[in-house]
Amino acid sequence: MEREGFTPIPKNLQFRVGLLLGLTFMVAAGFILYALYARGVFEATQRLTLVSENAEGVSLGMDLSFSGFPIGRVERISLADDGRARIEIEVPRKDAKWLRTSTIFTVERGIVGGARIRAFTGNLQDPPLPDGAERPVLRGDTQEEIPRMVATLRSTLENIEQLTGPGGSIQASLANLRAATERVSGRHGALGAVLGNDEDAKKVVAAIERANALLASMSGFVAKTDQRVLGPGGVVEGTQRAVEQANAILGELRESLKRVDKILADAQSVAGNAKAATQDLGALRAEVDASLRKVNGLIEEINRKWPFQRDSEIHLP
Amino acid sequence: MSTPQAAAGWLRAWGRAALFAAAAAAAALSLSAYTARTRTLAMRQIYFNAWHVLPGFTVFMTLLSWVVIQITISLARDYGLAQFALELVFRAVVLELIPLLTAFYVALRSGAAIVTEVAMMRVSGGLDELLSAHIDPYEREFVPRIAATAVSVFALTIVSCTVVMFVAYLVTYGANPSGFAEFSRTVARVFGPWALTGLVVKCLAFGAVVAGIPIAAGLDATRDPESAPDAVMGGMVRLFVTLALIELISLAVKYV
Repeated sequence: MEREGFTPIPKNLQFRVGLLLGLTFMVAAGFILYALYARGVFEATQRLTLVSENAEGVSLGMDLSFSGFPIGRVERISLADDGRARIEIEVPRKDAKWLRTSTIFTVERGIVGGARIRAFTGNLQDPPLPDGAERPVLRGDTQEEIPRMVATLRSTLENIEQLTGPGGSIQASLANLRAATERVSGRHGALGAVLGNDEDAKKVVAAIERANALLASMSGFVAKTDQRVLGPGGVVEGTQRAVEQANAILGELRESLKRVDKILADAQSVAGNAKAATQDLGALRAEVDASLRKVNGLIEEINRKWPFQRDSEIHLP
Repeated sequence: MSTPQAAAGWLRAWGRAALFAAAAAAAALSLSAYTARTRTLAMRQIYFNAWHVLPGFTVFMTLLSWVVIQITISLARDYGLAQFALELVFRAVVLELIPLLTAFYVALRSGAAIVTEVAMMRVSGGLDELLSAHIDPYEREFVPRIAATAVSVFALTIVSCTVVMFVAYLVTYGANPSGFAEFSRTVARVFGPWALTGLVVKCLAFGAVVAGIPIAAGLDATRDPESAPDAVMGGMVRLFVTLALIELISLAVKYV
């Protein structure tokens, strides 16, 4: 087994094999260092924890992107005690400037591929996000939206089909529109389309002609009326005279009222005298009442002392 | 040959291969296996397995990977999935295809030679002479070859993977250095600690079976010259099955 076929063994075998092994281990070590560098082992990072309802589609090593550029990487996914998913993300310090306290984080799932974690910062002047910050994350799932969208689309298409199908309302509307258009272009034009048939249109035209004739006669009537009302000896002039006469009557009435005022003043003085007389009558009445009470007492006394006094009591057997 | 007998023979052959693996592992742990003679033998094996074929093999892998990567990237761009193309190339070509092809290449080139050589030693009685001279063939002949083949497969795989990663960069971004950041992010995503450990373990396992199974199969030969072709054929089939099984287990551990 010391002979390897017909291939000659070189003299510097040890050097060549050493070179190959050295090269292999250098390449392997270099690749491992490169992989560590790529994973961000040699750069300072800060931690960010996103709290989500679920972690579907999120996997380790996934990027956190800002404006389409990856600025962080998912390092750990765990389930918290409250049943919510915690997505821990390492963000290099040099890229942490894009994350502010007002930054909003979203997890979006497209139709193809895994989820994408995105950060949106509205105002870059806000205070920077501290290390170890914990933020809620908004979820948008295209796959969850598709069935709902398809159901809505289907009902919409059914409605459109009903509208556009034979016997549908759009067909009927178009037929009506066509009939109306034909009438508009007919003998009586838009009037025929509005009224629906030519007979009515003829009636309307006749009515308009009669209305014209009526207006002509009305204008003559108005001229005559104007003369009767506003002309000499008309209604207006008579009315003016009547008003003047009414004014004179009112003056006379005012004089009569003044005289009535005087009569009323006299009546008031008479009433004052009557009031004084009434007060004297009160005193007189009081004296009469006292005399009557005395007479009454006298009569009761006589009755008591009188021998044939009537017994008012009734004695039962 | 009836089916039960064939099955029994198949099981016996696998059992002998397993016993040989245990004996070889025990010999590898013995200090007496590491002598100047075994070191020279291992270096010779590495030279013939790896150094001698390195340029041609690297060129072949470059061309093959160039075509595969070009097809993958173009199709991914056509389907609008360009952002996943590089990751797919790393996972499929660098982590799976290159190590497996390397193992098959070394198996076809050296494994076939080893199984034939061991079978012929059995036929010619060379192994019996060693045993009668109180020389352990495991320590003196088998372990250095197995170790050297494992190192060879590892070296060829590492060099090929590195070249293929350069090819992947060139096909994806051209000679433009601005794609380096995105390339690095994809590397970080794919080549995690477990992926790298798995790659190293898989390469070493490939190398060990590429030498170990042919030697175990060669020992199945007898003094009868007609037993040698059977031993060679059985050894190569078992080698193929074992390589495929290792790849399958590796995929299952990573993705299932």
